[in-house]
Amino acid sequence: MEAVLGQVAELPALFAVSRSAQVRDWEPPTLDRALDWARYFQHLHDRFRGRPRLRDALERRLRRGGTDSPLSFRHLGGCSELLGLALLENRALQPAACRRLLQRFLQGQAGPDPGRLVLLARRKAASRLLESCALSPTEPGPRVCVEARLLLCRLREDGREAGPALCWLGPVLEQLSQPRAFAVVAEALLQGDGDSPAGGQGGGAEAGSVADPLLSWLLEDPHRFSACCLLLPGTLLASLADRYARLSRRYLDLLAEWGSQLLYDSLRGRWVKSRPDEAKLCWEELRERFGCLCQGSVQLREQTQAALKLLKARDGDFQIRGLSVWTDLLLELEKDLRKKQSPNV
Amino acid sequence: WPPFLMFLDAIAPLGHLGTQDGLISRSLLCHLLSSSKWERNEAETSTFISALGYTSADYYCHLVENIVSSLVTELRGNQFNELNIQGRISVSHVNAVSLFCIPLITLPDLTPLLETLLDYHGGASKEILSSEFLEAVNDALLKKKISLSEAAIFSLWHRHLPSLESATLNLLDQLISLQINSLEKVACVIKDSLLIQAASHPAIFRIVNEIFKNVLLETDGAPEVMTIIQVFMQLFIQVQQNENKQHKFPLKAYFPHHQQPLVIALLRRPFELPSTHWLQHLKHISDMLKSIVEDTNISSFADLYEIWFLVACFGEWLDIAAEQLMKGAVAPDALLWLLAFYYCPENENQQRTQTMVESRAVYSHLMMFYNRTVLSFGELQASVNNIADTEQYHTQCLVTHLLTNFLLFSSGGHMIAQEFISHITETTDMSKEVCTLLIRTAYRIKHNGGENQRTVKLLNELLQKLALKV
Repeated sequence: MEAVLGQVAELPALFAVSRSAQVRDWEPPTLDRALDWARYFQHLHDRFRGRPRLRDALERRLRRGGTDSPLSFRHLGGCSELLGLALLENRALQPAACRRLLQRFLQGQAGPDPGRLVLLARRKAASRLLESCALSPTEPGPRVCVEARLLLCRLREDGREAGPALCWLGPVLEQLSQPRAFAVVAEALLQGDGDSPAGGQGGGAEAGSVADPLLSWLLEDPHRFSACCLLLPGTLLASLADRYARLSRRYLDLLAEWGSQLLYDSLRGRWVKSRPDEAKLCWEELRERFGCLCQGSVQLREQTQAALKLLKARDGDFQIRGLSVWTDLLLELEKDLRKKQSPNV
Repeated sequence: WPPFLMFLDAIAPLGHLGTQDGLISRSLLCHLLSSSKWERNEAETSTFISALGYTSADYYCHLVENIVSSLVTELRGNQFNELNIQGRISVSHVNAVSLFCIPLITLPDLTPLLETLLDYHGGASKEILSSEFLEAVNDALLKKKISLSEAAIFSLWHRHLPSLESATLNLLDQLISLQINSLEKVACVIKDSLLIQAASHPAIFRIVNEIFKNVLLETDGAPEVMTIIQVFMQLFIQVQQNENKQHKFPLKAYFPHHQQPLVIALLRRPFELPSTHWLQHLKHISDMLKSIVEDTNISSFADLYEIWFLVACFGEWLDIAAEQLMKGAVAPDALLWLLAFYYCPENENQQRTQTMVESRAVYSHLMMFYNRTVLSFGELQASVNNIADTEQYHTQCLVTHLLTNFLLFSSGGHMIAQEFISHITETTDMSKEVCTLLIRTAYRIKHNGGENQRTVKLLNELLQKLALKV
């Protein structure tokens, strides 16, 4: 077993090399060895899949290996495919080795077997073709949805302990550009089960444990959270706030901070940013954000209104416009609410 | 190797990997297979997915599923909203979706989308889906490359006439190319084709009926085709009777051009009546038919063919008529007329009357032998030979029909049945007719029962011998 663990510890290095320029020096026999190793690792995965303790031991060893994007037991399972496709995409691979790679591909000894290969090609073509005829393009697109779903799958697999998830989540999400990462995490939070409406951690440990690492990632760094709330649309953030109490509180606090940076311009009769280069949201955007929050559940709306009333009180509880941004916001929101309750007379 | 890989190998052989061709081959594989770094909008996805531990195989599997299910939701949603939102999705857009699906039809992930499209009705009077799409789906169905739900298949046949036509013709082709020695197999194939179930919709039934009529004409009334049609109709009635009352259409919807009492009489299955009533029932059919044909003065060929076809479809009763005759029926004229009509519907030049006269003569002869327990080959042959000289094809058929029944159902006939049937098949053109008749009789007896063991045994022996010859 110790020997196996030692071998498995080499996998992260193998992946890293396969994506790097080091493959330039690879001759066909080197390539063969690498691919054979991949098949051996895959075989290990199949053997140990049903044996939790051994599986955990392997996984712990794997995690030790890479500093950025630590691997998991799942990587063992997809080893052939991952390695094969990584090498295929690596431009540094020389013709002789490449030829060997393609031969093995076509013989089904590298990457997926030919049947799966054909299915993969067909599916990729199908998704390209059908994507372009989406009937009414919705946000988020199917790609973001799938990325979120796979993220959730991985989190559920690790579900038993919350610890491991936190160590790989950050590095993995860094593979995406920030806006994309936020979109994917938001979608994952929506797809997951979330808190029950009563605000408690309903739905069993499962539901809670999947959302927790994502929320933690989002909330732990104030700059990150702030960037997220700027990039994502108000409606999406309102949906998230509806589901996750932790998030709604932080979000309201952030909006309060941003709102307090607005000043009233008496000449123009409008609220403007006090320091244009530093302030985050303008009046219209702030209003829209609060508006979305009030369109959520009753609970969220009440929470939002309560927060606004508190802020208004702190400012001096003015009733007329132009003195406190919170007064004005509340007046606008109440106007919207009345409109909604008695539409076109 | 799968065809796709052979294609790849053909356009960019592995041997030239150092060259431009090799680069093409490799780029092509990359493009086809992976969420590649080399494509702009997919670069970051690729690293993210593999960092998670998933491969492009997993990714595209989920992606296709996601895209298909959102398209399905959109299409279905638009259906229910049709009333208040005037087509959120334009007709041309749905048409475009159907066009895009054409190269993807045989991909299993697409089945839900295909079914939703086939069910889609935009309220427009013209067909929304592209006809190439409908043809391609039907083609894939008939070649068994995809499988769809029954409802989707019926939708396809409902909205696209060529599909229904080719499905029906495909069925006939299949059946004709079978070496039919038992109708069980025929029934099986017919049931598999789902045309029986689809024919519960009167519109589909009428079209299939028309196709059968035309095929029968084109093949000059070939007995195999007639038999296939008869089995189809029997199965059709069976399904109609088994179906729950809720969805039943009135009989007139299926047979709009015919008088209902005749249709009802023909649709009765023999086993629904005690065998003692069969004679009465047949006389009833014969009388009705006679009055329609002779009294109302049908002039055109088309009308005559129409009514003839109706009777021929439910040929079970015709076979029973022949059987009843050979079992010594009282008042045989009605039954003889029925058979004469079947074999010779036209009477412009008194052909039918002539046939009637000749067959009555044969009948009388056969009845003379009826009570004989021992009969010799020579005796029978002698009396029949006079008639066999007739050049009239119709009469020959009718006589053969009577003769075969005589051999099967009379005690004298049993003894020489083998010999005589061989004689018929070897010396006349009637071998196909005899074969088909024996096969039909075996099937009929099996399903209606009530026949004595000796007849059944004889029948099986005859069939076996014929199967060997074929």
